[in-house]
Amino acid sequence: MTDGHSHVNYLLIYGALCVLTIVSALADIIHLSSWVLLVAIVFSVATAKALAVMTYFMHLKFEGRWKYVLLAPTTILAAGLPLALLPDIGVHYYTVQVPQQGILIHDAHAHSPGGKHAAGGGHDADHSEEGGSADQGEHGHAAGH
Amino acid sequence: MAHATQPTRLRMGLPISNAKLGMWLFLGTEIMFFTAFIGTYIVLRMGSPGWPTSPDVTHIRIWAGALNTFVLLTSSYFVVVAHESMHSNNFAKARKFLWMTFACACLFLGIKGYEYYGKISHDILPGRIPESSQQAMEKVVRELEAVVSARSDALLGDPTVKEPLVTLRDEAGKPDVDETRKNQISAVLALSEQTAKLKDDVITEAAELEGVEHQLAEMKLNEQYGSLVQGVREPHPILYGNLFASVYFLLTGFHAIHVIVGMILFALMLKLGNKLSARQCDFVENAGLYWHFVDLVWIFLFPLIYIV
Repeated sequence: MTDGHSHVNYLLIYGALCVLTIVSALADIIHLSSWVLLVAIVFSVATAKALAVMTYFMHLKFEGRWKYVLLAPTTILAAGLPLALLPDIGVHYYTVQVPQQGILIHDAHAHSPGGKHAAGGGHDADHSEEGGSADQGEHGHAAGH
Repeated sequence: MAHATQPTRLRMGLPISNAKLGMWLFLGTEIMFFTAFIGTYIVLRMGSPGWPTSPDVTHIRIWAGALNTFVLLTSSYFVVVAHESMHSNNFAKARKFLWMTFACACLFLGIKGYEYYGKISHDILPGRIPESSQQAMEKVVRELEAVVSARSDALLGDPTVKEPLVTLRDEAGKPDVDETRKNQISAVLALSEQTAKLKDDVITEAAELEGVEHQLAEMKLNEQYGSLVQGVREPHPILYGNLFASVYFLLTGFHAIHVIVGMILFALMLKLGNKLSARQCDFVENAGLYWHFVDLVWIFLFPLIYIV
């Protein structure tokens, strides 16, 4: 059953994986003019590598149809979380308050001494350091996108 | 395969061993586990314009990531060869390749450790990164104050003293204090004075980032107390730096834990030494499946963290 794949030239697959890694590293090093193009290249390469590893190294090519039964639901469920988060956090369909950004953009903006205010309405609670720097919440400008 | 020798026996379920089915089910949960983190990273990053990407800021080295990709790919290849050798009953060869896989895992963690060291030494840690100029200047003041307090405690040798600086000033005023100690005390007092001045400027918002940077550089050159403040870091605000650091350590940390678990699996086989036999064939196959999955995760982490 699983012995039918002994003819696979694993060294060749390994070589292809290495070449693909070099391609994505080069795509970064040559500083492409378009960021979208870079993303397209490196993720196509990553997907190709992942498929090669799954197909040959993990022997999925030689497995029965149970592989679809097992992997399709997990893949769909895995995609669920990012897709559910996307509209709220990734895209922001409402105006969001980003304290740090407000301060960097409007740096001259009046700012009270540290420690007086509690971290209020911060974008992410674990951002604020103790005491002195925790007072941005109330002063941050609403940064729309 | 063990079950292939009994073709007449009626077999229920999938045409694979229970162990392998278990491993694939586990890998199914692992796919969801890592996709949750990777997806969260992508979503957070999309929602955070100005995310830090410059290597000067993040101290992310693409060569280290690329090298680690090669190391993991190579180890994946070694596992495949080890598994093949198990099938052809060449257990000495299998053992050799399992050792080489183990060595690759060690190398991977070594490079990862080097990268973590770089992050830690630049204080790129969740919750410790100033995200605005004001926060960066306040951090410089905090670090200077920590130096003053540590130095005065060290000079007094007693951390319970309520007002260490006052006590030190009194001591320096006495006639019988020797010259070296007097100099040490006046150094910490001068540093404390300078720090207080800087703090005043910072909290009243009179200070500018460049000004504080310049002042800190001057303090480091000061003959009296310069040597004390060498470790104080320059103010470098990083927008979304804390979120970046959280995501970075979460993703690479969980991946590193998986690498360590894989090493334990290989170590169990290597511990057998010469006793490695056909009975371990399934184990090596399943450990290999797991290891390829660890490789698979890294294949996506590399472009996500190091390139894009």
